[in-house]
Amino acid sequence: MTILRRALGVLGASWRFLRRDKKAMGGAIILFILLLISAFPSWFILDDPQAEIFTPAMGLSWAHPLGTTSFGQDVFSQLMAGTRESMMVAMLVGLFSTVISVVIGISAAYIGGIFDDALSLFTDVVLVIPTFPLIIVITAYLKGATFWLMVAVLVITGWSYGARQLRVQALSLRNRDYLLAARARGESAWYVISVELIPPMTSLIVANFLGAALYAVLAESGLQFIGLGNINSESWGTMLYWAQNNEALYSGLPLWALAPGIAIAVLGSALALLNYAFDEIANPALRPVSRRRASKVVPS
Amino acid sequence: MIKKFKLGMITTAFAFVASTCVIVAPGVLVSGVASAAPSQIALNLANEQGNLWGCAFNPFNPTDSAFSIGPVYETLDFVDALNNAKVTPWLASSYVWSNANKTVTFTIRSGAMWTDGTPLTAADVYYTLNLLKTHSALDVNALWSVLSSVSSSGNKVTVNFKTSAVPYFYYLAGLTPIVPKHLWTKVANPVTYTDTAPIGSGGYVMNHCTPQNIKYTANKNYWQKGMAQVQVVNYPAFLSNNTCNEYLAQGLGQWGSQFIPSIKTQYVNKAKGNNYWFPAIANVSIFPNLTVPGLDDPKVRLAMSYALNRSAISTIGEYGYEAPSNQTGIVTPTYSKWLSASVSSSLGKSYDVAKTASILTADGYAKVNGVWTKDGKQLAFSLMTNGGYSDWVASAQVMTQQLNAAGFKITLNLPASTTFYNDIYTGNYQLAYNSETGGPSPYYEFRQALYSKNSAAIGTDASSNWERYNNPAVDSLLNNYAATTSTATQHTIINQLESIMATTAPIIPVLQSAEWFEFNATHFGNFPSPSNPYAQPALYAEPDWGYVVDQLKPKA
Amino acid sequence: MKFLVRRVGFLLITLWVAVTVNFFIPRLMPGNPAEAMMATFRGHVNPAAIHALEVAFGINTKESLLASYGQYLVNVLHGNLGISTSNFPLPVTTVIAKGLPWSLGLVGLSTILGFLIGTSLGAIAAWRRGGWLDNVLPPMFIVISAFPYFWVGLLSIWFFALTLNWFPFVGPYTSTTIPTFTWPFILDVLKHAVLPSFTILITSIGGWILTMRNNMITVVAEDYVKMARAKGLKPSRILWQYAGRNALLPNLTGFAMSLGFVISGAILVEYVYNYPGVGFMLLNAVSAQDFPLMQALFLLITVAVLLAIFVSDVATALLDPRTRNSR
Repeated sequence: MTILRRALGVLGASWRFLRRDKKAMGGAIILFILLLISAFPSWFILDDPQAEIFTPAMGLSWAHPLGTTSFGQDVFSQLMAGTRESMMVAMLVGLFSTVISVVIGISAAYIGGIFDDALSLFTDVVLVIPTFPLIIVITAYLKGATFWLMVAVLVITGWSYGARQLRVQALSLRNRDYLLAARARGESAWYVISVELIPPMTSLIVANFLGAALYAVLAESGLQFIGLGNINSESWGTMLYWAQNNEALYSGLPLWALAPGIAIAVLGSALALLNYAFDEIANPALRPVSRRRASKVVPS
Repeated sequence: MIKKFKLGMITTAFAFVASTCVIVAPGVLVSGVASAAPSQIALNLANEQGNLWGCAFNPFNPTDSAFSIGPVYETLDFVDALNNAKVTPWLASSYVWSNANKTVTFTIRSGAMWTDGTPLTAADVYYTLNLLKTHSALDVNALWSVLSSVSSSGNKVTVNFKTSAVPYFYYLAGLTPIVPKHLWTKVANPVTYTDTAPIGSGGYVMNHCTPQNIKYTANKNYWQKGMAQVQVVNYPAFLSNNTCNEYLAQGLGQWGSQFIPSIKTQYVNKAKGNNYWFPAIANVSIFPNLTVPGLDDPKVRLAMSYALNRSAISTIGEYGYEAPSNQTGIVTPTYSKWLSASVSSSLGKSYDVAKTASILTADGYAKVNGVWTKDGKQLAFSLMTNGGYSDWVASAQVMTQQLNAAGFKITLNLPASTTFYNDIYTGNYQLAYNSETGGPSPYYEFRQALYSKNSAAIGTDASSNWERYNNPAVDSLLNNYAATTSTATQHTIINQLESIMATTAPIIPVLQSAEWFEFNATHFGNFPSPSNPYAQPALYAEPDWGYVVDQLKPKA
Repeated sequence: MKFLVRRVGFLLITLWVAVTVNFFIPRLMPGNPAEAMMATFRGHVNPAAIHALEVAFGINTKESLLASYGQYLVNVLHGNLGISTSNFPLPVTTVIAKGLPWSLGLVGLSTILGFLIGTSLGAIAAWRRGGWLDNVLPPMFIVISAFPYFWVGLLSIWFFALTLNWFPFVGPYTSTTIPTFTWPFILDVLKHAVLPSFTILITSIGGWILTMRNNMITVVAEDYVKMARAKGLKPSRILWQYAGRNALLPNLTGFAMSLGFVISGAILVEYVYNYPGVGFMLLNAVSAQDFPLMQALFLLITVAVLLAIFVSDVATALLDPRTRNSR
């Protein structure tokens, strides 16, 4: 019950915060709309996004709000259909990376000793190996990544930053009185971690989720743009790949290339704005308005 | 394919850049050709390779050969693939077949000279051919798989084949560059030799090379008087199609080998004098893996051929640049003379879904849930093509839609280059969309695709004939062709092969593999054209492009 | 001393991991460089030639994994990174040497410029907390830094080069010119660098602004800053010499890391602008399936980043004794 109450408490605080923070609210609204599109793409799609049925290379019109590709596909429909994959990648990578970050970061901090040393070393090693080149090399060997492979690669390369942050914060909380008290009471480690340790860190965990999701969106679209994703998939990055390969910018079809980029930028901005807002919750010193000094959490 | 044809698909565009003139002008003067118009601008080539130049010119290295075979190193004869394999003497002034077409004797011309002033002799030719024998890594055309010996006396070089091998003349005389013995004998390891300052016999000298540009200048002592009139040729390195196409469109490049989307608006209309011609000498075909159940049935393959609307594939996948093929396998109009009228008319309409249905029904198939099925087995296959070639991918997507609409169940698979070739060589696929390289007559593509010796067991590398076709009758037809120099006999044999293609569809030609060729004739005349197809016009065609530069005529 | 040992140890372990990953990734995958090269010949090559190429590439499939791992480590230590298959027969090192100066020049200068501008703006924003700069900059750059790098590049090409025709966008200089140390050539190089540099700046500056602002906010609240104010020191002096310096320290590691990443170039920016740096080369190696080149580049990038981090760690420790005991 306590877990639930605490979690609800934090969520409630977040909601109150969101309502006051215009940046965060903007991000949340955009995210909600994109979630809606990816949940029910058929509401928004005008035509089969892959079908090559229209006059190629048309400009703007009511029938084709963003024109058609040089293959005769409707750009707007492609854009809508592509929303799902980017959102899925963002959410899944965000989720899995955060889980790994939490498990590794917090267990390292809580258990301490050699275990902490080993896990921290591991985290740091993963952290400093250049991610994007590594992903490129891995996907090159994998001969282009399918959806789940892409998710796996992004998770493997994306968890370490969060783990490090969470470890630092968990370390600072570990020796608080209430935690020591809980241990002294003989509570199980599982109880202490999940009930006493994690709830105060919720905002940082959420911020990490958003950060990892943002990283995933940008990295995925970059990989797809250079043709290392599945070029047969329906996604924004793949649209950019085909647009670039057919020289959309140079052949009078700039929207084909610019529209998916704007979509990625919009999703990215929404995640970034929310991320920033949750960072501010985690680190009260940064808050623009609120001067409440409720929990003095050490920023990472 | 759009990107990277051969690794070395050298998309060159010869372009004139006003600013370039200024820079290259001193070079022109130094070359001392006072009679040449001093204001002549450079010929700029535009052929995107996605790479900076390595400034290596070893003509036996497939990565670099296209920079040296033709303009710098020459071959014994020039064989025109677009004009009935017409042979023009080059370093050999004549040749003669003897010994039941197992021996060919070349007479090496006198007067040809290396650019360091040393005369080119039969000894150089003899040395070159033996170099390939001792270093098999250099023998990219596998000459020594058919040669038995080479000898030389006076100005003659005699080449003996193991069996009659008339068509191998193309590889021997037309594609093998002759290198100077007096310099190459000093090379420690010819396989890894970079040849950064090549000494050749051709119309051009490699003057200066940076990672961004190769500059060729006319060989002022060229043995062919009146040739090589273009004074300076620039070959800039382009890292992407976009930029290279833009360079051509603006008229900066005079000669290109680029895939340009919507070429009318994106190139032709953008600068005065921009023009293009996309001839073909081979097909891009579906190679059915004949060891796969279902695909081993000629009726199924033929039914598949009729289910393809090739003109739609051409329009959507290739902007119409690659003309639809036909099931005889003869590329038209390049090889129209070889096309058998009777075989052609027996085929009827090329796109005929009703015929697909009637063939399959007669073969015992029935549609179950919309998919052709026999004995509980569906005609369900995967189709793969090279994921790196976006035009092939687009074409394959259209094919998949068409075949599925006709009751096949096709899934599309788009591996990256290495996997694609690895799988197709080892036979680890069901249907593959790919092309053979072809040659100066339909024989070459047929031999590559159908000759059983070019194939291999599943799991081992087949150099061509990836579908694993094995028909002794076809093998003997191909052998007979190799033994004859009679045009009539050759035509009879090719017509018989067409008939086999039309009735059993061992491979399914879809589109004709175009050579990309854009040119601007404002400042230079005499580019190859449909009415004067004197050479393959693509910059990645070696030695053809050098042969063309030799003959271009600067305009005042 | 203990600190130094730990850092060196970490450096070595990370290097070893990178080299090992580099060794094993290709060996878990099908195909070999000779086959990749054969692919480029499209069936033209005879089996004997392939075998000869395998010998030339030093591919010996019979060797045990452990033995070839050992050999690989030795080769790497000797800087022997093999032959680039897409540039055969050039060694990988020669190929990389062609691209390195361009990455260092373009990305290096843009990174330093971005850091300087970004941290200054961040410091000012924090100093004038709640001022217009503080209200506008953070949200603006939060949004901009969420844009994909390459797309900002595409957009700039479309707008500044194709629509307005202000700048060239192909390669590092007009390709048919011969590089010389003359003004016209240098100007040409600079003109070609404007758009890619702008793309890097615009997308990287936000990060510096935000971190510097956040550090600065913490520092400004510290007692010694209050003290300085109380003493009546000039605000600009407090800003730059007291608060700014201390707020900058934590940012040094980030700066060092991004300097390390200079070696890797801004991969997608170089790709979009056809800038022939190391990043472009990496993508090129990928599309040509040139695994030796790809691995060497990855190794080079990793080493550069690790060294940069090491140097910054040591430097920070020298400047700020507190950090020495913090880990």
